[in-house]
Amino acid sequence: MSKLISSQAHDSGITCLVLSKDGSHAYTGGEDCIVRIWKMDEGPDYEPATASEADQAITAVAAADYCWLSGSEDAVVRQYVKDTSELTGHVWDASGVAVRSLAIDPTGKMVAITSDTFDVKVVHLEDITIVSQLKGHVGSVRRATWHPSSSLLTTSGSDGKIIIWKMSTLQPEIETIIEGIIPAIGDTSSHEYAHDCSAVWHTSGQYFYVASRAHEIVTVSRSDWTKTSTFSDKEVSGAITALAISVNGVYLASASKSTVHVWSTQTRRLIASHPGTPGATITHLAFSPREDLIAWTDSKGGFNRWPKAIPDNFPDPVKRSVATNAAATIPARPKTNLFDDIAEATTINALRDDNAELDPGFDDVDDDWIIDDLGGGLQDASEGAGKKQDAYVKEMVSITKAQPPFQPASTPMDRKKRLLAYNTIGVIEVTDQDTHHIVNVEFFDRSARQGYNFTDHFRYHLGYLGERGAVFACPAEEAHPAQVLYKPYGGWNKQGDWTYVLKRPGSSVLGVAAGGLRSSRSFRQKDDDSDLHGYGNVVIATSESDLTFLSGTGRERRIMGLGADFVSMAAGPEWVFVVHRAGSTTIDGSQNLSYSVINFEDFSVKQRDVLPIPKGHVLKWIGLTDQGAPAIYDSAGWVHILTKFRIPHHASWARVMDTNLLERRKGKDESYWPVGITESNLLCLILKGRQEYPGSPRPLIQELPMHIPFRLEEPKGELVERELLHISTALDSLEDELTTDAIVSRERAVDRELMLLIQAACKADNVPRAIELAKLLHQTETFGAAIKLADFYHLVGLAEKLRILQAEREETDDRLIAARNKRRRWLKPDPPLREVVQLSKSTANGSSRVDLLGDVRPPPTIERPRLARVTAPVIETTRYSSVAPAPVLLPRDPTPSLDAAVDSPSPSFGPGDGKRKRTEADDLDFSFATPPPPRQKTNPFARKPGQESRNPFARKSDGNNGRTIQKSESFFDKVGAAEDDAGGQAHAKRPFAKPPGNQEKGVVRQTTLFGMPPPKPKPKPGKEKEIERKTTTTKAKKGSGLNASASAAASGEGAEETQDSQATDIVMSDANTPASVAEAEPEAVTQDATESQDPQVGDSSLIANWEETQLVEVESQDL
Amino acid sequence: MALPESLRMSITPPELELISSQQLLEIVPLISMERTAFISGAYGPLRPPNKAIVPIWMAVNLKSKKKCHIVAPAWLNVDFLQDRLNYETSKPGFSDLPFRFMEISKVLLDVASDDLEDPDKLRSLLKDLREARQAKSRDGLKRLDHSELSLPNLSSMEINEIRPFFVQSMHMLTQLVREPSAA
Repeated sequence: MSKLISSQAHDSGITCLVLSKDGSHAYTGGEDCIVRIWKMDEGPDYEPATASEADQAITAVAAADYCWLSGSEDAVVRQYVKDTSELTGHVWDASGVAVRSLAIDPTGKMVAITSDTFDVKVVHLEDITIVSQLKGHVGSVRRATWHPSSSLLTTSGSDGKIIIWKMSTLQPEIETIIEGIIPAIGDTSSHEYAHDCSAVWHTSGQYFYVASRAHEIVTVSRSDWTKTSTFSDKEVSGAITALAISVNGVYLASASKSTVHVWSTQTRRLIASHPGTPGATITHLAFSPREDLIAWTDSKGGFNRWPKAIPDNFPDPVKRSVATNAAATIPARPKTNLFDDIAEATTINALRDDNAELDPGFDDVDDDWIIDDLGGGLQDASEGAGKKQDAYVKEMVSITKAQPPFQPASTPMDRKKRLLAYNTIGVIEVTDQDTHHIVNVEFFDRSARQGYNFTDHFRYHLGYLGERGAVFACPAEEAHPAQVLYKPYGGWNKQGDWTYVLKRPGSSVLGVAAGGLRSSRSFRQKDDDSDLHGYGNVVIATSESDLTFLSGTGRERRIMGLGADFVSMAAGPEWVFVVHRAGSTTIDGSQNLSYSVINFEDFSVKQRDVLPIPKGHVLKWIGLTDQGAPAIYDSAGWVHILTKFRIPHHASWARVMDTNLLERRKGKDESYWPVGITESNLLCLILKGRQEYPGSPRPLIQELPMHIPFRLEEPKGELVERELLHISTALDSLEDELTTDAIVSRERAVDRELMLLIQAACKADNVPRAIELAKLLHQTETFGAAIKLADFYHLVGLAEKLRILQAEREETDDRLIAARNKRRRWLKPDPPLREVVQLSKSTANGSSRVDLLGDVRPPPTIERPRLARVTAPVIETTRYSSVAPAPVLLPRDPTPSLDAAVDSPSPSFGPGDGKRKRTEADDLDFSFATPPPPRQKTNPFARKPGQESRNPFARKSDGNNGRTIQKSESFFDKVGAAEDDAGGQAHAKRPFAKPPGNQEKGVVRQTTLFGMPPPKPKPKPGKEKEIERKTTTTKAKKGSGLNASASAAASGEGAEETQDSQATDIVMSDANTPASVAEAEPEAVTQDATESQDPQVGDSSLIANWEETQLVEVESQDL
Repeated sequence: MALPESLRMSITPPELELISSQQLLEIVPLISMERTAFISGAYGPLRPPNKAIVPIWMAVNLKSKKKCHIVAPAWLNVDFLQDRLNYETSKPGFSDLPFRFMEISKVLLDVASDDLEDPDKLRSLLKDLREARQAKSRDGLKRLDHSELSLPNLSSMEINEIRPFFVQSMHMLTQLVREPSAA
């Protein structure tokens, strides 16, 4: 604390003080009948000039631009030349009664003189013959003060009245009389009589401060002349003996006994104090108009100056321009609390209009303040967080009041209590204990989190309850800058707590939010891994126009510039929903609010658009639904929910409720204070009458059912649409799963409702409507019911159309898959579906593969030496077969012989594949692996001619048609045979162990392949299936595989072959009934020719044909 | 059971209370719980601060563990009961009250008086109601008939109360009436 400059000025007794307008001089008067004129620049040793004309004690001094006045108990008011002791004359002679107070109006033209008479005189300084007498008091008048605009004069009488005089009219009138604030003191010699009871106008002219008889400083609003707030602090007690306001209105100084207290008018908090001279009573206080200095005189005759009274981290008490003091701007409108009345904000203009013609000065004052306000609003706006409607930030163009920043569901301090946050997780409630606050955090789900409370010396004014922790923020104060406290749930040992300080002076926190994944477990369980999921994310909006992102452990992650005025925000699990005002409000009443949804993960902006708030209305609440969608509530009573918010730039606002249409609201005056939204209900507190926010005790949360405010009164239709909205939101939240039980059951429920609607439509013979509704049905099964309905109503046409719809629905892709694909496309723009598949394939195979579809070259085949002999010329590689990703399938095949035959590296094949196969083959069987390469060359040619009959080979190899057919009829027979044949052969490693002599069996296997499910399921078949679906090539390849196997009949491994064939035939297996075989047989004859090419398999034509047809079928299906 | 003769013939009030505790009631849970199957049905899920509908026995159980707030039924408030009491004292018939209002109100007042508004006033109103209705049912004795008795809006507890005596009396009346006709 800076040192006091003290001088002994007068004898003990009542003293008075005034500073000259420019702050260069001070005039003090005392009971020693002299006035001393101090130069403010001089130190304590300076000997001041004196004016000693008065005969009795000096009771009042006043200063104007060009003169100063003194009033004394000898009833004379003397006028002196500025800054000197040169007397220029008497302004007034009060005919024997003591002068008590002098007040020169801000323009310096008039002086109000109060004395021990009941009348107040207002004397024009330029012409002291013009005197107005103000009659109203019924006791001596102790003090007089002027409104900053000179239009009002306030006088405080010993009768306990404060009278406000309207001075702008020719004949002053009483504007109002305020009683009951200041004490009535009749005895002019008592100590209390000298105490300051003047109404100290704030520079904005909207209210004045006065020391009340309860020893408090109270604020009286000009709009309705009622007491709106008080200044109190535990350190301040006793009578207020003097009161003064800084020239810019930011600070108020008061004196109790010998102590000087400095208050911030915005926060109404004590920011500094000085003990003064012990034992003395301070009688007059004054702020210097040019520097940070407070001067006072006390009852011991001392004149004290306290330079640097305002702590460094607070704005200067003198400067009032934004330009000169950007960082520490001056809030023009002290506290939102000062303006309890909504009317205040809206009547400013009206007031100005009222006074405009009467008093130009008023406007000037006000305008100054508007300029200051802009800065002040930015800085101080968070103060008004709770009051959404009645505390507007003033704008340069004050046509539409801009809504100040607010925390969702918070309230201002009312009866020493306020809510910082109220959502579906819990409540943060603050109780003001004068010296400190008690913060009480309560959770609704007590099984998950335990409530707690703590003593708060920082006076947190913002709070947010997140899923993972609670965050608080406090404004800058004398002892500390603005800071943020995060308290994660879980261990209550304060281990996880951290504080984040905004070091820059003048910075403040406008809003806070904390997000995180919903915890599935209780935070009360003391598990070691309780913090495995982290503490979520914290976002802070600061007055430095940014959003600061921190991790749950207090790691700073990013300071994101926000090129807009922050208004409010709410945090979800993965993102934060921020409402801001990009520009200013518009002239036609729109708040011009927009929103952004910003991901925590990568700070990308998911959605950005305008908020649907009607003109002339403000945002009242923002939050999240239980599905996680952003939701807003505005003063028009509408609830909007953001749909499709997960998909970047697809979001839109759906109006889901209009509280004005509520059944319960009819005939009642009530409003709703939302705290959360579930799927079907608005959770809110119901406020009666014109309440703006809930008081204490908190009312119970009410659930109001939400209905889309459709204009047609069709509750059923509304229900369906509402459900569809929720279902689509639920579907959007899915990732890879197609649906969930919950969704399915909801869909069923909606379908039931739809059925009712269809029925109604049928009844009304409204076929188009019925069709339209039927198209909305979710479950294909329901169509059956709808058709029955149509039949019942004898609407044949409708029934037919419904059948078509049903067939269509059955044919087309599953809508759920379509929806999932849509999601994938939207959320992962880069990889189209096909690529995903390919990737998975290649990874499955362990080798990177060229585009299978693009590879139209013939397949590389490695012929077994033995097989080659027999089949080499005959083997046909069709286009299809060549395209087929044989390598993919075959490598998996346990039967190396087949693989080798089909896949053996050929020149045409991708090197990687060939290599791989080879190695495999090598691993399996060295001796065989080597021979194939030479044969490959021969094979490709051989195959091509036989494109059409690629499969036939396999069959041809079969000696017996009849035999094969039999086998195909019975899967088990076949398996048995295969096993018998194969015996140990089944082992992939010995494919060639079996001599080609088993051709017949091989044939048998093949036929069975088509007909049978895989006897030995191996990983391969499944994969092949997938591949088959996607690419025809695969199948073709399998055909080739078959051929190969046919050619390789020598190997004759039943088991292997069956597997292979399975792979190809899975799709067809159903169709492979004996009947189908029989049907196929006759056709086969024509194709026999091709088959006959194969010398080995001369007689198996029928079977081969049959197989072929099957294959074709499969292919067409796949295609 | 060592019950007085009159009671042995009918259900005891605690039994009635038990029966009535199957009725459903709204609560504001303070714990979360998945939908859980009980013998009487599946209830839940409990998701604070959303209201849930559970049977009274469950609400009472949760309440006694301080795990929920009970939302008073629409009829259990001073205004409603006062209205009914006025009806009761001014009109001859029984007023329209829930069939098991006595049991339910007793349970709620015992267990969750802190969740009710003005429980003392409620108690006295209920007591007044009971007395007024008791007087009427006593009055109804005059109109006792051998064949039928119509007392609309009589609550379960009251029926139970008058049953032993009324049944017996009616039985007697039947006999009395039948004799002459038989003769």
